[in-house]
Amino acid sequence: MIARLRQTWERATPQVKRPFYVGITVGFVLAVLVGLGIANTDSFFALPSSLEGVATSQAIWGLKPSNLLMVLPLGAFLVVLARSFVGVKAFGLFTPMLIAVAFLQIGPVMGPVVLCSSVLVGMIVTPSLLKLRMTRVGFLGVLISLIVLVLVAMQLIFDVALQVDAFPVIVCALCVERWWKQWGKDGAKPAAKMAFNTFILAVIIEFVMVSDFALALIEASPLLMPAFTAVAIGILGRYRGLRLSEIHRFAPIWLERRRKARLSANPDQLELDLEPITDEDRRATAPPLEGMWVIDSPADLHPGRRRRVPQPIIPNKEAQFEPRFDALGRPLKHNAWIIRSAQDV
Amino acid sequence: MFGLLRKKPVNYDALSKLRPPQLDGVDEILGINMRNALIQKYNPRSAIERARDKVAAKVALEAAGIACTGTVAVIDSHQKLAEFKASRDMPDAWAIKPARGSQGDGILLAVRREGNTWFKGSGAPLTEETVMHHIQKVVDGGFSGDSAAEDAALIEPLIIADPALSRIVPEGLPDLRVISLHYTPLMAMVRLPTLESDGKANLHQRAIGAGIDMVTGKITRAVVKGTPITHHPDTGELLIGFEIPGWERVLELASRCGPAVGLGYCGADIVLDVNDGPLVIEVNAHPGIEIQNICQAGLKVRIAATGEDFR
Repeated sequence: MIARLRQTWERATPQVKRPFYVGITVGFVLAVLVGLGIANTDSFFALPSSLEGVATSQAIWGLKPSNLLMVLPLGAFLVVLARSFVGVKAFGLFTPMLIAVAFLQIGPVMGPVVLCSSVLVGMIVTPSLLKLRMTRVGFLGVLISLIVLVLVAMQLIFDVALQVDAFPVIVCALCVERWWKQWGKDGAKPAAKMAFNTFILAVIIEFVMVSDFALALIEASPLLMPAFTAVAIGILGRYRGLRLSEIHRFAPIWLERRRKARLSANPDQLELDLEPITDEDRRATAPPLEGMWVIDSPADLHPGRRRRVPQPIIPNKEAQFEPRFDALGRPLKHNAWIIRSAQDV
Repeated sequence: MFGLLRKKPVNYDALSKLRPPQLDGVDEILGINMRNALIQKYNPRSAIERARDKVAAKVALEAAGIACTGTVAVIDSHQKLAEFKASRDMPDAWAIKPARGSQGDGILLAVRREGNTWFKGSGAPLTEETVMHHIQKVVDGGFSGDSAAEDAALIEPLIIADPALSRIVPEGLPDLRVISLHYTPLMAMVRLPTLESDGKANLHQRAIGAGIDMVTGKITRAVVKGTPITHHPDTGELLIGFEIPGWERVLELASRCGPAVGLGYCGADIVLDVNDGPLVIEVNAHPGIEIQNICQAGLKVRIAATGEDFR
């Protein structure tokens, strides 16, 4: 693992290294803030009902319900950072922020549990709902009732009252809808990846919102936080450079260019950048074998005629697919006839 | 009237400047943030709407004297749909497209006809009833995203690819994508369908993307899903060095179709027809940036070479 990392680092071009340092710095600052937020968490498993009427966010993190509004700009800033600097693909524009606020209202562990079970139930029910050909509003309405149903079921399971506001319920319903739309558009794997991104982003935003830094800023003055983040978002919103994810996406350009430059400078030099080419790679890039034409009629011998003969290969033994070489290491010539022109027949 | 028809010459000065992109670094690549800024700057809302609607874009292109694919009929209302009779009005080979469709959704192709039955490329039959049902679904907005309630069905004669190009692909229609800023074409690629992509020229479905040298019109590099190749995996034809037939004309079309629709920064989709040569099929107001990975070159340096000032 470490050797692999070192190899990647040695292969990295200067273009990749600089943004990497910036990314590491941003990641480090975020990690510190998240760490502060986690350290600030008094009890992870507290259920809202055990808090005797005190709001969840206040009981666990000391964040007053009236100050819930104050952390919203901070969430918006993080969403903008994730989208236009890091290039994370997540559901919706500010959905991760809304999910984070919903988590703040339900609790650090119960929030994800409620969200995941709502999405799961939504996933199971949506196919049959779509068959009913409902409008979007009707669909969302049914989802809301279903999520409330899930909450009631959970209350019965845990034998407590969860006390969830209307807001998290709506957020959960929107999540289910987004997830389903993305699934239909891109397929299961990209949708799952996006959902995972959204979830992680929401958790990060949640803990940054309740870190000592954010709480101290809110306590100092109610004006400080919105003004501070407005300026920061204004600067970040004008960012026109490459996103970190795009550095990864376009890195092959720099890698290949450097390899070409090295090769032209010294043609004998081994390609240090690349791992040795395996037989699989060679086979994948080789042009298909010519020959093996099936000639059914004289018209097939007409020059320029396209011949494509499907030749299903049924594997009967492993050795069939092994490359065969002669004593000098050259590939063997197969003894099929190669017909290139009409004269060969 | 005649001013519209006057040909704007291709800006060869700017083109030749594109040749040596020696600006090595992160700065030469156009990121999605910068692309969005360019679109915001040069593509007015109305022009984007026009480009999104294939019928409106076609009207604008034809008014500017740009060669487009032919049109059999445009069915944009139920009244027209009722008057339309497929067996009477449709040719032997055609394509039905939703005017506001995206990513090839709702496109139906017929390659031949026997009596009142047409056949798809795969050999599946299409009765008149199926065809009319498809048109109705298009008109009802069934393929046009979630916002549009009604759409127009655009019926075009089927395009048969230039034999030089169709020789190197197993099936399907290869298409060229040229990105241009104002009158200057910046970067071009050709998308070659494979058997694996099911004859579709869509890079996500494992079609081949091949970068084209802007000056000579020759393929310099071919990629399937990030892996460089030299030959077409299905036909075995050599791709590197293949010269696109009628490249001059492709450049001329590409340089004119953005301004014709009203777009400053656009991607033109061009096909090479066996009879008519290069034809514009679509103008894209939000062209993707994956083309940079395929051509191994940065769009930003090329845009800078046209005199655009990035600050």
